Amino acid sequence: MKQKMVLKIFIIAILPLATAALFFSSCKKAPKIERPIKVGIIDCYSGPPAVYAKDALNGFKLALNEINKEGVLGTKIEYTTRDTKFKVDIGLSMAKELVMREKVDLLVGTISSSVALAVSDYCKGEKVPFMVWISKSERITGEKGHRYVFSTGENTAMAGKAGGVALAKKPYTKYWIAGDDYEYGHAIADAAWRNLKKLKPEVELLGQSWWKVGEPDLIPYITAILAAKPEAVIFCTGGRSMTNVMKAIKATGMAEKVAIWIHTATDHAVLKPLGPEAPEGVMGTMDYHFYYPDTPANKEFVKAFKEAYGEPPGFPAFHGYITAHFIAEAFKKAGTLDREKFIDALEGLKIASPVGEIEMRACDHQAVLPMYLGVTKKVPEYDFIISTDIVTLTGDEVMPTCEEIKKAREK
Amino acid sequence: MFRGITEKRLLWFLAIIFIVLLIFPSILPRFYTYIIALIFVTSLLAMSLNLVVGYGGMFQFHHGVFYGVGAYTVALMLTKTSLPVWVGFVAGPVMATVTGFLIGWFCVRLTRLYFAMLQISLGSLIWAIAFRWYTLTGGDDGIHGVPMPALLSSQNNSYYFILVILTICLMAMYLIVKSPFGRTLQAIRDNPQRCEAVGINVRRHQLKAIVIATFFAGVAGVLFVVLERSVFPDLLFWVLSLEVFIMCLLGGWFTFAGPILGAAIIVSLRTFVGIYTEYWTLVLGVILILLIFFLPEGVMGYFLGKFRPLAKEVAHRSE
Amino acid sequence: MDFASLSTQLLVGLSRAMILFIVCAGLSFILGVLRVPNIAHGSLYMIGAFAAYSIFTHLGSSSSGFWLALILAPLVVALVSLVAERALFCHLYQREHLMLLLFTFALMLILDDLVKITWGPEYCSVLAPNILRGSVSMFGASLPRYNLFLLIVGPLVAIFLWLFVNKTKIGKISRAAAVDREMVGAVGINVSWVFAAAFVIGCFLAGLGGALVAPTVSICLGMDHDIIIEAFLIVTIGGLGNIWGALVGSLIFGVTHSFGVLLWPQFAIVFPYAAVVIVLLLRPRGLLKSVW
Repeated sequence: MKQKMVLKIFIIAILPLATAALFFSSCKKAPKIERPIKVGIIDCYSGPPAVYAKDALNGFKLALNEINKEGVLGTKIEYTTRDTKFKVDIGLSMAKELVMREKVDLLVGTISSSVALAVSDYCKGEKVPFMVWISKSERITGEKGHRYVFSTGENTAMAGKAGGVALAKKPYTKYWIAGDDYEYGHAIADAAWRNLKKLKPEVELLGQSWWKVGEPDLIPYITAILAAKPEAVIFCTGGRSMTNVMKAIKATGMAEKVAIWIHTATDHAVLKPLGPEAPEGVMGTMDYHFYYPDTPANKEFVKAFKEAYGEPPGFPAFHGYITAHFIAEAFKKAGTLDREKFIDALEGLKIASPVGEIEMRACDHQAVLPMYLGVTKKVPEYDFIISTDIVTLTGDEVMPTCEEIKKAREK
Repeated sequence: MFRGITEKRLLWFLAIIFIVLLIFPSILPRFYTYIIALIFVTSLLAMSLNLVVGYGGMFQFHHGVFYGVGAYTVALMLTKTSLPVWVGFVAGPVMATVTGFLIGWFCVRLTRLYFAMLQISLGSLIWAIAFRWYTLTGGDDGIHGVPMPALLSSQNNSYYFILVILTICLMAMYLIVKSPFGRTLQAIRDNPQRCEAVGINVRRHQLKAIVIATFFAGVAGVLFVVLERSVFPDLLFWVLSLEVFIMCLLGGWFTFAGPILGAAIIVSLRTFVGIYTEYWTLVLGVILILLIFFLPEGVMGYFLGKFRPLAKEVAHRSE
Repeated sequence: MDFASLSTQLLVGLSRAMILFIVCAGLSFILGVLRVPNIAHGSLYMIGAFAAYSIFTHLGSSSSGFWLALILAPLVVALVSLVAERALFCHLYQREHLMLLLFTFALMLILDDLVKITWGPEYCSVLAPNILRGSVSMFGASLPRYNLFLLIVGPLVAIFLWLFVNKTKIGKISRAAAVDREMVGAVGINVSWVFAAAFVIGCFLAGLGGALVAPTVSICLGMDHDIIIEAFLIVTIGGLGNIWGALVGSLIFGVTHSFGVLLWPQFAIVFPYAAVVIVLLLRPRGLLKSVW
C-alpha cells in the first residue's frame, strides 16, 4: 500500500514537471534559433581539382557575407571545410567527422563524383541533407538520387544533351569521340551521342579514343584522330585535361580541320591560363560565364566577386554562390533548423541568381540551369579568348524529364 | 616479443585491452568508435602486409590490390547476387587469396625492386579492370550503399564484428609467425642464399607467405565494406599500397604489433590534423622525417628497444 | 592507315619518349648510385614546371623568357634537391634502405604541399616561343613544331649525359660507386659528396623534364602523380640504375604508346603496365645490364 502511495505521489509530481520541461524546451526552440547554422563543406583542396574547389568556396563565402548581413532566422550561417584529397575513403571519413563530431546541419561538396556518391549514400542513412555543387555525375540526382541529396550544378546528362542538341543542327555526319577515361568522360559521351543519334539518325561514329585522366601528352591521340578523317569530334574531358586538349588542338591546328565540341571548352578557368595559345573556333557549352548574360544581376555579382578575390568568378563560384542562397532561402522558408522541414522547403524552391531565376526541381532535386552554347574566339576587349555567338538552351530543353528520372531510379 | 614480461602477464595485459576495446562504443562518442573501427581495418591490412615485408623481406609494393579484390568481391556478391551474406564474406578473402597466388606466382621469380614493379604492373591491370568495367564494377564511381545484414547495420555492431574478426586474425597471424614456417620465412629474409643451400625451397615459401598475407588482406577488405559500405577503384590503386607500406615502416616492420601502431598514427593524423589544416600531408611529411631521424626502428621498435634494448637486438639477429 | 599518319605517330611518339627519357634518366641515375627509389622525383619534375612558369611570367612572357626559364628552372630544382640532400638526406645513407624510401616519400608529401603554398591551385601555362608554335607539314601530315624541338633536345641531353658519365671525373666516380661503393670509399673519395652530386644531377634532370614539358601541358598540382609511376615502370624495363636502359624504356613506352593509341585506343590505360609485365616475364632484370 505504502509503495503504491509513493508511486502515486511520484507520478503526480513528475507529470507537471515533465510537461513543463517539454513546454519550455519547445518554447525555446520555436521563435528564435540560438545557435548558428552549421554547414560542413567537403571538397578536394589539393591536387588538380583544387582550383575548382577554391573557386566554389569563394562563391559560397561571398554569398554568406551577403546573407549573414541580415541573418537567417535570426542567426548566421557558418561553415567549416575538410579536404578530401579526391579520395573516397578520406571523403567518407571527413563527412562522418562533420556529421558525428561537428554536428553540422547539412553537408556541401564535392568535385569528385565518386566521393559525392559515397557521401550521398551515407547521408541517406543518416538523414542529413547533402548538396552537391561541382560534381557532374548524372547518377547523383538520377538513378542514385534520394530524398537527402541535391545538386546545384549542371550534370553530364544536361551537358551531353546540350551537345547533342547543338550538334544535331550542324551538317556533320562522321563523328569521333575522345575523352578522359573515367565516368565523367563516358557519361558525357553517352549522353551526347544518345541525343545526337535520336535527333539525327544518319550520324556515324568512326571510332573512339580514351586516355587516362591527366595524360600529359595528347598529341599522339589527336594525330591519330586526324588520321581517321572525321568531320567532327566530340571531346569528353574536363579539368586539367581540358588545358592539355586545348593545347594539343592548337598545336596540331585541329580546329581548322574538323569541327570540335567540348563541354566546358568555353570555361574561363581553361581559357585564361592559355591566353592567346587557346584555339579559336571550338564549340563549347557552359552553364555560367562572367561576361554572359549581360544583365545587371550578373554584373553586380562579378563586380563583388572581383573586389573580394581579384579574379572574375568561374562556374564553380556561381554554383557555390547559388548553393548558399538556396540554403539560406530554404531555412527561411522552413522557419526551423529541422532537416526534414529544410528539405521540404528546398524542394521546388526558386531563387534569384546572377543568371535569372533558378528552380530546385522537386522531382529529382536537380537545380534547373540554362546552358550556354558558344564558340571560342578572340575579341579585342579581353586578352584571353572568350565564348562568342552564345545561344542559350533553357534548363527544360537540356534536362532529362521527371519521368525519365523516375524510370532511372526504379532500375 | 615481450620476452621481459612473462607470457602470463602479457596475456592478462592483452585481455584487459580487449575488454577496454569492447566497452569503448558505450562510452565514446560515435565518431571515435568509427575512427577506431577504421584503424582496426587498416591495421589488419598493414599487419597482413608486414607478414610479407617484415617477416618475408619481400618488396610487396602493391598489397592494396588484394584488399581491394576482397572488398570488391564482397560488394559485388552482396549487390549483384542473392546468395547468403556469409558466402560473400567468405568469397572476399578467397578471391583475394586466388589473386595473391596468381600475382605472387609470377612475382617470386624476381627480386627486390623488380618484384615490386612487376607486382605494381600486375596489380594495376586489375585496377584497370575495376576502373573500366562500368557495367560490373561501376567504373571509377565505385559501388556505394552495399546492403548489410540487419545484424551488422548499426555502427556499434559492425565495430564489434570488426573487433572480433581482427582479434581472431591477429591470433592466427601470431601463430603463423611463431610456427616453423614463420621462422623459415625469417631465415629466408635474412639470408636467402644460405637457405637455398640447406635445401629450403625459397620461392615456394615466399609464395606461401604471399598467399597467407593476401588472405588476411582480403579479410581486411571485407571489413572495410562492413564499415564503409563502399568500394571504389582507389582501393586497388598503388597510392594506397604505398601508404600501407609506409605504415609498416613507420610502426616498425621488425615487430609483430608495429604496423598496428603505424596504421593508428597515419589514420588519426589524417583525420585529426585534417580538421585543422588542409596542409595535413605537409604535417605528415614533417612527422615522418622526424620519426626517421629519431626513431629509426619505427615507433614500436623504439618502445620495445627502450624496454629491453639488448634482448631485442639478440632476438632479431639470431633469428 | 597511310604512311603519313604512321610517320606522324612515330615522330610524336619519339618526341614523347624524349621527355620521358630526361626524367627517367635522372631517376635511374639516382637508383644506380644511391640505390634509392626516389619517390619525390615526380614532385621535383612538377617544381621544374612551376619554376619555369614563374620565371617565364616574370620575364614578361616573351620568347627569351622561355629560353631563360628552360635553363634556370632545372637549376632551381637542383638547388632545392641540394638543400634537401645536405640538410637531411645525407645523414641517412648508413640506414636501412627502406628508411631511405620512407624519406623520399616524406619529401614528396612535403614538396607537394609546399608547391601548393607557393603557387596555389590555379592551372598555369607557359607559351612556347613563336618559332616553336604551330605545326609544320611533313610527309603530308602536320607535326607540332614543339615536338620537333623535343626531338632535337632529347638526343642532345643524351650526348651530354654520355660525355658526363664517361669523360668527366665525377661521372666516372659515380659509375664506380654504382658498382661498388665500398671500393670508392676505400680509395679515398668522399662518397657522401659523390652521392650528393648524383642526387642533385638526377633531380636536375627531373627539373629539366618539367621545364621542357611546361609549354605542352597545363601546369598544375598532381603532375607528379602522373609521371612518377610511369617513370618507375620505364626504369624497370630498361634495367634499374642504367641510364641507357632509361633511354630504351622511354623509346619503347613512347613509340608503343603512340602506335597503340592509333590501333587500340580503348586500351591505352593498360599499355605501360602490360609492357612491364611482358618485359619482366621475359627478362627478369630488365633489358639492359642492371646494378640492382
